[in-house]
Amino acid sequence: MNIQHIMGVVDASFAARQSIEKALREIDRRALNAMVLVKRHGNALAGYGVVAQAFRERAATLKDSAAHLQESIAPLIEAYMRILQHQRFSDSFEQMLAHNADHEKHCPGLRSTQKKWQIIIVEEEAEAKAVLERLLEMVQLLQEGIEEQEYVVTNGRIEAALAESTGAPLMRVSREMGEAVRTVALAIRSYRHQLESLEHESSTHL
Amino acid sequence: MKAAPIFEAGSHRWWIIYDQDEHRVIDSNVYVIESNEQTIILDPGGFEIFPQVFAALVEAVPPSSLKAAFVSHQDPDIASSLPLWHACNEKMEWHIPKLWEGFIRHYGALDAPLQNIEDTGGSIIIGGRRLEFIPAHYLHSSANFHLYDPEAKILFSGDVGAALLPPGHDAWVDRRDKTGRAFAEHISKAKYFHERWMPSNAAKKNWIERVSQMDIQYLCPQHGAIYSGDNVKRFLDWFDKLTVGTAII
Repeated sequence: MNIQHIMGVVDASFAARQSIEKALREIDRRALNAMVLVKRHGNALAGYGVVAQAFRERAATLKDSAAHLQESIAPLIEAYMRILQHQRFSDSFEQMLAHNADHEKHCPGLRSTQKKWQIIIVEEEAEAKAVLERLLEMVQLLQEGIEEQEYVVTNGRIEAALAESTGAPLMRVSREMGEAVRTVALAIRSYRHQLESLEHESSTHL
Repeated sequence: MKAAPIFEAGSHRWWIIYDQDEHRVIDSNVYVIESNEQTIILDPGGFEIFPQVFAALVEAVPPSSLKAAFVSHQDPDIASSLPLWHACNEKMEWHIPKLWEGFIRHYGALDAPLQNIEDTGGSIIIGGRRLEFIPAHYLHSSANFHLYDPEAKILFSGDVGAALLPPGHDAWVDRRDKTGRAFAEHISKAKYFHERWMPSNAAKKNWIERVSQMDIQYLCPQHGAIYSGDNVKRFLDWFDKLTVGTAII
């Protein structure tokens, strides 16, 4: 386990999570703006109203999924830090073995204690990998949610073009929705890459 | 463990990390101050709770923002996590009581950058903000410091104010209660701790005199819950009247 790599990933994840939260807040705000606009124009924007409603509902689902993401990163970090902690014990015993050629004679328990710590670490690495895989599945779901949101935005653009005669600034609203969704999509992609780099490291190690 | 915000004013923030999941070691609070994207961690905790503390910390701040740690005294629940933090961030500076340097290095980070605090106290700048090391010797350790943030009006008081609370406890002594009943209930869980761990009535009197001159909104102990507003004064009055160093006499 390369602790400096993990620190780098934790840092990058922190930035990505902040970016996702901010972008999701922005999506929620855009969705609300769209709903207000539709209400103001009554039946003339009924088609766009359906889109705005779908956009808002999906925004709420995305926020919910992102909250679960937050809950799952802490156990992963904790698992890695536990490995770091127990690696200290394993290393200490390794040093003792290296400096004592007669350890089998003088201290026969030393080798078995060292092995015990190595087994614990291997188990913890497997646990960390399982947590990481669950987290990646959640990220995958979040990405799917974003793809659905992108589809809604596309529909919104079509409805906006159809309702251009009403004079409501639907094209601008749709463009802003699209930008907000794109921002969160990029942040999630970057977050996923960081997690995958951890997964790659743990796979090669195991 | 979880991180909860205590104070926020622009780029200046305090968090408490509290309510640990491991109950075989004494329950400890860890405090985090962030100022302009630089972070100091106060009494970073014991070796056994490090994974929990670190996981909670990175909910609040990125690890690369960690510039320093403050160690109030030498006890294992305060500083035995030092080698693990050092493995994560070798540049992090450790501000420790000078008297304890040789002892603290026994925790296993011989090359960690330790910065000694003289008996008279001192200060540190984090993200452009000055934080003061307040001498609190013999409360309980013979070389012991607290940390005061004059802008936030927060005193991190180490073991002073500590209470032994059950798992799932709140971060605060009930702030809504104006009657003092919540304080009275809480302080019953702090009494034995202070009688047994605080050895000197003279040191206690001297500390109360000095701290009473300071503007304190929150008094943050390393065990138990935070005293705020009127509860700060209630605590100082209670501590003043308590005879310490007598629990087994």
